[in-house]
Amino acid sequence: MSKQVQADTLLRDTAVNVQRDVAVNVQRDIAVNVQSDIAVNVRNITKNYEQWQRSSDRRDLFRNLIKPEKRIITALDDVSFQVEKGEFVAYAGANGAGKSTTMKILAGMLYPTSGSVSVLGLSPQTDRIPLMRRLGVMFGNRTELWWDQPVIQSFEWKRVIWDIPDDRYRKTLDTVCELLDIKDLLHTFVRELSLGQRMKADLALLLLHEPELILLDEPTIGLDVLAKRQMIGFLKDLNREKQTTILVTSHDMDDLEEMARRIILVSKGHIAYDGSFGDLRTAAGCMCRIAVTIEADFVPAELESAGVMEELGRADAESAGVALGRPDAESVGVALGRPDAESVVNGSDGRSVLAANGSAAPAVANNCAAHPADHRSAPVIPNASLISGSRGVFEYEFDQQATPITSILSSISGIPGVKDVEIKKAPIEEVITGLYLKWKGIE
Amino acid sequence: MAAKRIPIARFLALYGIYAKMDLMWFLRDFKYAVLGILGDAVSNLTAVAGIFLLAWRFDGVGGMTRYEVLFMLGYSTLITGVFQTFFASNNTGHISRRIGRGQIDHMLIQPLPLPVQLLAEGFIPFTGSSNLVTGSLILAAAVHFMEIALPWWWIFSLIGNVAVTMLIILSESYLYSSVAFYAPAAAEEIAYYVIDLRSPLSQYPLSGMPLQLQIPLITAVPAGLLAWFPTMALLGKPPLSLTSFFPVLVAVLFFLLAQFTFRKGMMHYVKTGSSRYLTQGYRR
Repeated sequence: MSKQVQADTLLRDTAVNVQRDVAVNVQRDIAVNVQSDIAVNVRNITKNYEQWQRSSDRRDLFRNLIKPEKRIITALDDVSFQVEKGEFVAYAGANGAGKSTTMKILAGMLYPTSGSVSVLGLSPQTDRIPLMRRLGVMFGNRTELWWDQPVIQSFEWKRVIWDIPDDRYRKTLDTVCELLDIKDLLHTFVRELSLGQRMKADLALLLLHEPELILLDEPTIGLDVLAKRQMIGFLKDLNREKQTTILVTSHDMDDLEEMARRIILVSKGHIAYDGSFGDLRTAAGCMCRIAVTIEADFVPAELESAGVMEELGRADAESAGVALGRPDAESVGVALGRPDAESVVNGSDGRSVLAANGSAAPAVANNCAAHPADHRSAPVIPNASLISGSRGVFEYEFDQQATPITSILSSISGIPGVKDVEIKKAPIEEVITGLYLKWKGIE
Repeated sequence: MAAKRIPIARFLALYGIYAKMDLMWFLRDFKYAVLGILGDAVSNLTAVAGIFLLAWRFDGVGGMTRYEVLFMLGYSTLITGVFQTFFASNNTGHISRRIGRGQIDHMLIQPLPLPVQLLAEGFIPFTGSSNLVTGSLILAAAVHFMEIALPWWWIFSLIGNVAVTMLIILSESYLYSSVAFYAPAAAEEIAYYVIDLRSPLSQYPLSGMPLQLQIPLITAVPAGLLAWFPTMALLGKPPLSLTSFFPVLVAVLFFLLAQFTFRKGMMHYVKTGSSRYLTQGYRR
C-alpha cells in the first residue's frame, strides 16, 4: 500500500497501534512479492462519477437547460491494494463505499478515472478477451444463465463461448455438479429455480472454464441459511483445494469472516483497513465476550440467608418474586423491596451491577435480572459489562487488551453457582458497525 | 474493443449454439411456438397486403406494375425475415434496449469481441424465419407473374442487395441507439422507432413521387433504400438515373458513422457505467 492515510484515520479513531503494524506488514509483504504471485494489483485508482443537479426553482429553468449543474462524486479515491494468488479476500464497506465500482473496474466493465489496474497480469481495459478466459465474475443480483432454457443449455452455451475443450468441459461439469449438488437441476428451466438453486447454477456456470480468479459481488444476497452455508462451504473448499483466488463483497460481515482470511474495508472511496479479521477486532477495541451460565437450582446466598425459601416453605419456589407474592416483580431485588438490586447481586467484591456497569447498566440490569420464573440474577464481573441475559445465561463484554482473560476467569471462578463459561469473539458485524459509526461521526 | 480475427469455424460454432437454443425454445412449447410464428407471418402479410391491393386496383402505383409492387413487398418481407432471423433475438438489432438497460455488462465479461457477440447472439433460425420464408415465396411469386427471365447470377445480386439493406438498417439502428449511452432512460426504445415504426414507409413505392421527397428518402432517411430502390435495381431499372450500387455508398457512410458514434458511446459507457441495470428483456 503506497497510501497510509486511510489506515491512519482508523488508527486515530481506535487509538491503538496494532493496525499500523498490520499496514506495515502488508507493505512489507507486497515488497517481497514477485509480480507473478500477484493476482490483483490496483494502484492509485480514482473513480469519479458525474451527477446532474436539477433544481425545481423557476429561476433555474434556463440554467438547467443551458448549463446544468454537475456534481462530481468520488467513488474511489486513490485506492491501492494487492491480492496474491490463492488468497481469499473480503472486500467490504457500507452502501456507496465503492465496492461494486471496484469489482466492475477489475472486471473491465468500468474504467477508472486515473490509476492503473492489473488483473492476473493483464489490463482489464486493453486485454479484456484474454483476461475473461481466466477470470470469473458473478454479481449476486444478476444471472448469466439463460432464463428460458434448461440449466444444462446455459452450460453448453458457456462451453462454446469460452471455447472449452470437450473433455475438460465434461470433467469440470461433473466436478461442479457433484460439489454443488445440482445434478437434479440440470434439466430444469432456469426461470423455475429457487434463488438458492439459481445461485448455485450460476456459480457452477462461472466455474466451468476453471477461472484462476473469481470476483463475487454479493454472492449470498437473498439466500436462506442453508443455501448460504452451502455456498460458503463450497467457496472455501474451492479456495483451499484449487488455490483459486477469490475476491468477494458482501453486506453480511459474518459471512465474509467465515469465508475470507483477509478483509479490505472501504469507506467513502478510501481503504480504511486492510488486514486480518482478528486484527480488525483488535484495532476496533479488542472487545471479547464471555457467557456465564448459572446452575438452574442455584439459590443466591442472600436469599438463603434471608430465609425467604424456608420461611415460605417453598424450597422449589420458581422465583423469589412469586414466593413473596409479587408475581409481577421483575427482579429479586424488587421482590425484596430493594429496587436497586444491590443486595441480591453476587459480586465477589460486593459491588452491584449498577456500580460495575456504569450509567448504561440500569436498563440492562433491569432486563437481565432473573426471569419472573427464575431466581438467578446476573453476577458481577469486574471490568466486564453485562450486555444481555436471560434464564441464567449472562453475556458480558470486556476489552481483552485492558483486562486479560485470566483476570476475568479468575473473577468468575469466585462466583457461586456457575455451571458453564463460554468465551466468544465480538460479532464482526458489530465491530464494523461501530467503525462505520465512528467514521460517520468524524466525517 | 477492436474486433479480432475469428475463424469461420468459430463463427459457425457460435451460430450453432444459438440455433440449438432456439430449437430448444421452439420445441419446449411447440403449439405456442407455431401459433406465434404463424401470427407473425399473418401480421406481416396483412401489413403489405394493403399496398398490393391498391396496386392491383389501380393496375400499379407510380409507374410500377402491380407485380413489381408485389416484388417490392416480397423484398420488404424478406428483409424483415432476415432481420428477425439474425438480429431480432436478445435485442442485438434493437441495441438501444441493451444499452439503456445496462446489459452491455454481460457482454464485457465474455471472451469474444463485441461485434462477434452481436452478430451471433441474435440468430434464431427456427422461431424467427417465418417472414424469411414468406418473403421468399412472395418474391418467387412476383418473379413468376412478371414472366421475366433472370440470369443465374441474379440470385447473388439479390443476396448482395439484401446484405446492403441489412447494413443500412443495422447502421441506422446503432447510430441512433448510441444516444442511449448518454440518455439510457429516454433513448432505451429509440431502435424500435428507427426500425419498426419506419417499416411501413419503406414498403411504399416511391416511383412517381416528387424529387424533393425521393432524395431525402434515399439519403438522410433512407427508407427508400430498404425496398423500393433495391427492387428497381434488381429489376434492371435503378431509379433517378443512379447506379445500382448507390445503396452501397449510403450503407458504407451510415456504417462508418454508426461505428464512430457507437465506439464513442461505448467509451462513455465504460467510463460512466450504467445505473439502470434491468434484468428484464435480456435472456428472458
